Amino acid sequence: MNSNFLEFINKDIEGKKNLLQSLPTRTKTNKKAFNKEIEGILAKYQEYEANIYKYITVKAKSIDIKDSPKSLEQTKERVVALERVKFLLNPSNTYIEKMGFDTLLYQINNYYTLNFKSLNAIINGFFDKFELAGIYLNSDEFDYTCYVHEYMDSYLEVRVSKNKDYKRVSEIFERIYWMNPEIIEHIELNFRRLIRKYSKQLNNYISKLQKEEKEKNNISSLKDCNDKLQTAYLELVTSQQESIKDIIELSKSGAFEIEHYLESSKIRKQAYQSLIADSINLNDHDKMDNICNALEKLKANINELNNYLEFLPLFNHFKTTYEKLIPTDEKQRKTTDLKEIELEIAKKEKELDKLNRKIEGVGLFLNRIPSNVKDLKVESVLKAKELYELYKKYDEAYFNEKVLSVLTSNMTISDVLNLYYSFDYFQKLAIQNVYKLTSYEEVVELSNKFDLFAMDPNNVITSGLPLFHESNVAKIICNKYHLSSIYLEEENLTIDNLKPLLNKVYIILRTHMIEKSKISLNQIWFITKVHKFMIEKESKEN
Amino acid sequence: MKKVKEKKEENKVNFDLSTLTLEELVEVYENIKIFIDYLEESKIEIEEKGKENE
Repeated sequence: MNSNFLEFINKDIEGKKNLLQSLPTRTKTNKKAFNKEIEGILAKYQEYEANIYKYITVKAKSIDIKDSPKSLEQTKERVVALERVKFLLNPSNTYIEKMGFDTLLYQINNYYTLNFKSLNAIINGFFDKFELAGIYLNSDEFDYTCYVHEYMDSYLEVRVSKNKDYKRVSEIFERIYWMNPEIIEHIELNFRRLIRKYSKQLNNYISKLQKEEKEKNNISSLKDCNDKLQTAYLELVTSQQESIKDIIELSKSGAFEIEHYLESSKIRKQAYQSLIADSINLNDHDKMDNICNALEKLKANINELNNYLEFLPLFNHFKTTYEKLIPTDEKQRKTTDLKEIELEIAKKEKELDKLNRKIEGVGLFLNRIPSNVKDLKVESVLKAKELYELYKKYDEAYFNEKVLSVLTSNMTISDVLNLYYSFDYFQKLAIQNVYKLTSYEEVVELSNKFDLFAMDPNNVITSGLPLFHESNVAKIICNKYHLSSIYLEEENLTIDNLKPLLNKVYIILRTHMIEKSKISLNQIWFITKVHKFMIEKESKEN
Repeated sequence: MKKVKEKKEENKVNFDLSTLTLEELVEVYENIKIFIDYLEESKIEIEEKGKENE
């Protein structure tokens, strides 16, 4: 009928609009006739729409690339398994961190500050960990204060019965709380004491786990584990590299605007002009292969720099806190008063124990419940308060000792990453304080991000970046890439400009990959458009 | 009967979409969709109880 259906449609639409505008609509009869005319045109155009929709969806499907699922699962599992072995073999921390007791202590310690919803969930967490190591705690071991004993006795009754009805326990908690609002602190202290008391069994459990995991994963040492993890991680990164199919799917999902990648796009032109030296012929495939290899590395560097800048306040906080403690020589290396605090805690806990025995009328005081029991209870609570303060000092000294063992003027950002990664309690505490967070969810979100950053074997910038000496990271990166004909300005590498820079890198990398493939940018644009039409149609029909 | 059939055939648009580029296909589909929306919006609501003003 017509050589170009588009021309026909455009003319027809114009003609139909003119026709409709010329029709009278004053009276009811006019209006009815007008609507009838519209219905006629509408029916025709709905038919056009349905036919074209069918045609373009079939066409898009025929252009699209068949999905060839990547076999990532095995490599992912290998990385996860090796990360677990590395975690267990970490020489920086102890069974407390390896068992995850430090995370629970952080939770119970911040029960009110971070608005936790369930105390029972935290307490159950402690029991679960002890039970993993074959330690089944009974109510007699919860005697830090008489209030702890009363609460934990009822708590354990429910836990052992497995009926999960903690209603009565909550009632007991409420009654105790009004007599002793520090009950949660006392429960925390009791758990701290038990963690210390069972250190031998818990250490044995960790040793057993280490042995099992090493055998299972064929690991001989920590170095062997690190080497194998590095290889597995590289394998994962390589197999996770974007394929043409991934690019199509990302475009369809709206993860990026395919229009920005088209040759006519100003954004695309700007990406090439701003990053690649004028002397490079963009049609020279070998040269562009080299540029893209360098851009792949830059992509990883940008992610690392982004992480570094996000956690810069944390690094600065660490720097300010410990800079003054850097030893000038080995003899001057400062020590903490950890041992003294430990002795002080042991002494005061003994005194508290004696008081509790008097209150309960056991041991030497068997069946001799004193008349001044009320005073003794007050005294025991005061003693527990002193101990709580001592434990705070102990925590500080404990982490200080870990820091001082590695503190030198040449310490790198990577060392700080490793320290905070190894000590979850102190990492979360630092994150909470530095970023002034008020909910546990916020702390966990940043903490997880920090751990992923610390664990990333792709980190290259931070591994050599000194903590205590000034260095211009942006300049280091710019100079490195100038050698590969990639032009970066220092201002491109500020936290706000990293995302736009990454987008430019992606435009060049993806365009290069598409150009080397069987599918064209134009075809991907078409597939994306048709996909959007399909979604619009589906949502209209539903 | 024959006449009706002929009329129907005449009305059918014998469009050959294979001659259109991918951009033109998208354009024609979008234009049709916009026109359909225009038509829907152009319909006039008629009050059933209103007096005819002729």
